Amino acid sequence: MASATVLAPAAAPPEPVRAAPALPDIMPPVKARKGFWGFLLRYPTIGIGGALLLVMLVIAVFAPLLWTADPTALAPALRTREPSARFWFGTDMLGRDVYSRVMYGARVSLLVGFSVALLSSAIGLLIGLVSGFIRWADSIIMRIMDGMMSIPPILLAIALMALTRGSVRNVIISITIAEIPRVSRLVRGVVLSLREQPYVDAAVAAGTRTPVIMWRHILPNTLAPLTVQATYICASAMIIEAILSFIGAGTPPIIPSWGNIMAEGRALWQVKPYIVFFPAVFLSVTVLAVNLLGDGLRDALDPRMAKRI
Amino acid sequence: MDRRTFLKASAGIGALASTGGLSAPALAQGAAARTLRFVPQANLANFDPIWGTQYVVRNASVLVWDTLYGVDDKLEPQRQMVESEEVSADGLTWTFKLREGLRFHDGERVLAKDCVASLARWCVRDGMGQMIRAIQEELVAVDDRSFRWRLKSPYPKMLLALGKNNTPMAFIMPERLARTDPFQQITEFVGSGPMRFARNEWVPGARSVFTKFDQYQPRREPASWLAGGKRMLVDRIEWHIMPDPATASGALQNGEVDWWETPLTDLIPTLRRNRNIAVDIADPLGNIGSFRFNHLHPPFSDVRARRAVQMALSQEDYMRAVVGDDNNMWRLLPSFFTPETPLYTEAGGEPLKGPRNIDAAKRLLAEAGYSGQPITVLVAQDQAPLKAMGEVTNALLRSLGMNVDFVATDWGTVGQRRSMKNPPGQGGWHIFHTWHAGADCVNPAAYLALRANGEQAWFGWPSSAEVEAARDRWFAATTLDQEKAAVADMNRAAMQHVTYIPNGFYLGYQAWRRNVTGVVKAPIPFFWGVAKS
Amino acid sequence: MLAYIIRRILATIPVMVVVALFVFSLLYIAPGDPAAVIAGDQATPADVERIRASLGLDRPFLVRFGAWAWDIVRGDLGTSIFTNLPVSLMIKQRIEPTLSLMIITLLLAVGIAVPMGVVAAWKAGSWIDRAVMVFAVFGFSVPVFVVGYLLAYVFALELDWLPVQGYTAFSEGFGPWFENLILPAIALGGVYIALIARITRATMLEVLQQDYIRTARAKGANQGSILFLHALKNAAVPIVTVVGIGVALLIGGAVVTESVFAIPGLGRLTVDAILRRDYPVIQGVILLFSFVYVLVNLVVDLLYTLFDPRIRY
Repeated sequence: MASATVLAPAAAPPEPVRAAPALPDIMPPVKARKGFWGFLLRYPTIGIGGALLLVMLVIAVFAPLLWTADPTALAPALRTREPSARFWFGTDMLGRDVYSRVMYGARVSLLVGFSVALLSSAIGLLIGLVSGFIRWADSIIMRIMDGMMSIPPILLAIALMALTRGSVRNVIISITIAEIPRVSRLVRGVVLSLREQPYVDAAVAAGTRTPVIMWRHILPNTLAPLTVQATYICASAMIIEAILSFIGAGTPPIIPSWGNIMAEGRALWQVKPYIVFFPAVFLSVTVLAVNLLGDGLRDALDPRMAKRI
Repeated sequence: MDRRTFLKASAGIGALASTGGLSAPALAQGAAARTLRFVPQANLANFDPIWGTQYVVRNASVLVWDTLYGVDDKLEPQRQMVESEEVSADGLTWTFKLREGLRFHDGERVLAKDCVASLARWCVRDGMGQMIRAIQEELVAVDDRSFRWRLKSPYPKMLLALGKNNTPMAFIMPERLARTDPFQQITEFVGSGPMRFARNEWVPGARSVFTKFDQYQPRREPASWLAGGKRMLVDRIEWHIMPDPATASGALQNGEVDWWETPLTDLIPTLRRNRNIAVDIADPLGNIGSFRFNHLHPPFSDVRARRAVQMALSQEDYMRAVVGDDNNMWRLLPSFFTPETPLYTEAGGEPLKGPRNIDAAKRLLAEAGYSGQPITVLVAQDQAPLKAMGEVTNALLRSLGMNVDFVATDWGTVGQRRSMKNPPGQGGWHIFHTWHAGADCVNPAAYLALRANGEQAWFGWPSSAEVEAARDRWFAATTLDQEKAAVADMNRAAMQHVTYIPNGFYLGYQAWRRNVTGVVKAPIPFFWGVAKS
Repeated sequence: MLAYIIRRILATIPVMVVVALFVFSLLYIAPGDPAAVIAGDQATPADVERIRASLGLDRPFLVRFGAWAWDIVRGDLGTSIFTNLPVSLMIKQRIEPTLSLMIITLLLAVGIAVPMGVVAAWKAGSWIDRAVMVFAVFGFSVPVFVVGYLLAYVFALELDWLPVQGYTAFSEGFGPWFENLILPAIALGGVYIALIARITRATMLEVLQQDYIRTARAKGANQGSILFLHALKNAAVPIVTVVGIGVALLIGGAVVTESVFAIPGLGRLTVDAILRRDYPVIQGVILLFSFVYVLVNLVVDLLYTLFDPRIRY
């Protein structure tokens, strides 16, 4: 007869547990870093953008101390001189020192950028909040905003400048008016989506008054996207100022801005390119810095990005 | 219906039909040699030379309409459409007889009644025409080829008025068009000149096209500015508007256009280095820059304040700002009149000569009672010379210790605001800039800016009996010496009164490709005699 | 679906009314008098008044607005103050260059920016990602006219590959038409490329984290089909939205590009008209732009249904 119970052959030693296969490369492991420098390393665009912007701010604030001359001092006998030891960036068509004008021009360009960003955010926030909360106002306001948004912003700014004389204040107002509709739309979108949240419902049910709801619940949540949008508006405003000057509807030439230095030099750029080159470089770097800052802020403030840590 | 009405109707229908199409297709290769591409000084936005008096409209109009007389390069009026003229002994009756064979672009003959209607329309808008109309007894067609103008008092400058090149020129249009109100635009462009205006190819702001009118009968004499035979050697002329001077420069260098009316002085060296491009002075009569005061309101209602600015103003600064580094293109101008012309005088021009005296100016200003109120300066940003002048003025006034209210706008706004007589704080003005073509400043005939008849004068409203008396003496003068004396008196009086301050005399260049011949130096770009190989 | 389209088109009417009112009011209060410009240097104030009256500029606001609105409804955009030509003719003459420029710019920008954004998202976090994004941001930062001048100098003047300026109609051949438009399109497209690349990257990043992508990968689908077939299609909605919004930016940038390259388009027409106060032209063109913008957004919304079957109207 066959053998009876046969012992199981000596089992091979149990195999070691293999590690799970490597995750696909769309999910690389992320090392979290701590602290201020860690923050900057995680979001290098904030660091680079912020640093460049800081340099420009320093230039703007300390312009008189940076070995500059009076930016409006004319010397027609010394016009269109090439860059040299005496005129670091050369002179323009009226003999003014381009280096001094570029340094002082930082003031106007940064002022326009920041003012427009702040004003349009504040006003857009107000309009967006009102529109998002008060239904009957919503359709009227949004129609108006849609109408304004459908007019290309540059044309709107030019038309508004045509209403009045060239000055920094009017440029700021014109560009702000052209940018408000976008901000208000953004805020309204956030408000509308937040309004459906349970905690807002709860607050309403508890009898909290609308302004308090707006202040405590809605507003903080709009700040993140609003800040990001504000940086983009700042960059866009600086470029629009340059284009307005290009058309001839910008800041008057007695107040130098990077835009109008380029506008004045544009006819000569084939023979004297430095008049356009230097302000173009400064403007581009500043706008780049602000854009990088905005990108970094968006990455940092996006709650969905934060999940990855 | 008679032939004229039929033609008018079909022309109208044709115009309607053709306005439905987009720009016409390009020409074949061979035809390109007979097409001249020109970049004009400004946009040709409208095309009625009596209604719109801009220089560029006049320049285009000389191609399309002819005149009874035309000035030659000595600014002497010569016969053009007229075969002969007669003046009565007392100077009160002028009779003109037209040449044979003159035709309009619609094929009709040019008749005396067309001339009568055209002159009537022109008189309403033109300075000299207004003077003639004020003393007009009758303007009537005698027969098909002659017409008569009877006046109440003699007007010796009649031929100059009819042949001058200052805008508006006395163009001859068909009677039905000339009947249009002078304050409204004509709707058809039927001309009497050597080129037709191709209205269906006109893209305002971008391109204008002119085609040769084969039935034009040029005079036998050689052409000299607006006089002589206007022989066209090209079949087609295209005007391309280029707002950006760098682009126009590139286009000329690349051969994409043939002739540029107003190249920037700073770009000339680059163009000169190009072997295919020729460069020369555009208009020997040049331009006179103008620094204009408002005489109605303080501080410049006081002649001392005006004299203060006059003794501090540096024409060199203004000219370098406007024209650049090329010293051939400007000169100091202690005068209100055009240099190198028979009547030019520097009488009374001492305040503008010699070194500038800022301290004395400041003292005079204080004497005149200036106490720090802001001075409103209107500066047009879209006209390059005026923009440059505005900035120099800003520096000048500030060096005199004045407060400047710098109003940077466009030329249209300046045009509106300068006509306001309110005080500067309430929408008025103190100073604005402009320039006058040298051709307009050769003599007092068309020199509106030099009038000093107070409220009726040009913007600024200067008021000086001396200036006006000298002007009257010029109009009554019969010999050259009398004219010179009158002009010298006028210059002296205007300098003392500081009607305005001429801030210099400047010229401009023109540039063309070397395969284009026949380009002349003149106040208007003349296309007759210009050929392209 | 059809009902939705009709409702949307009807909804544009109040928007257009707002635009019309806004623009008209703006011009009404603008200083600067076209009559003064027309009258020229020799005119007296009485002359200027006569011209104003003949242009109908002395009537009260509501009368002028009413007359203009009534004309618009009947399809008559009015007559230019300066050229005396119908505004609709002036627009018709200049619409082809601007349209051509915008279409080529759009195709170019989408063609460059979308792959850029996809690659950046695929290699997220690496130096390629950073490089692509900084490059894109450059497009945003350098003013259009600077880029335009540089391109014209290098490629037209120095290398003589392309013409410096001008526009050749499409009817004269594809080659010349395209040659005139390449440089302007590149100059104008910079801003657009930056915008589209960024939004593509952002949405692709989100989409690539979804479960269905992981599934596709596990299934063994190759990288290309994952990226373009699965991921991009789902990311399309925000991208198309931005393309639509960007049209307004394009129109603004076209103003500058048309100036630099002497293209006889609508952008230059509008700026010239604004600076001269040619009211009928300004009103007509801005109304047109708004209408186009609204239309583009409608098309964008309709395109959503193509990309996202969950969206139905």
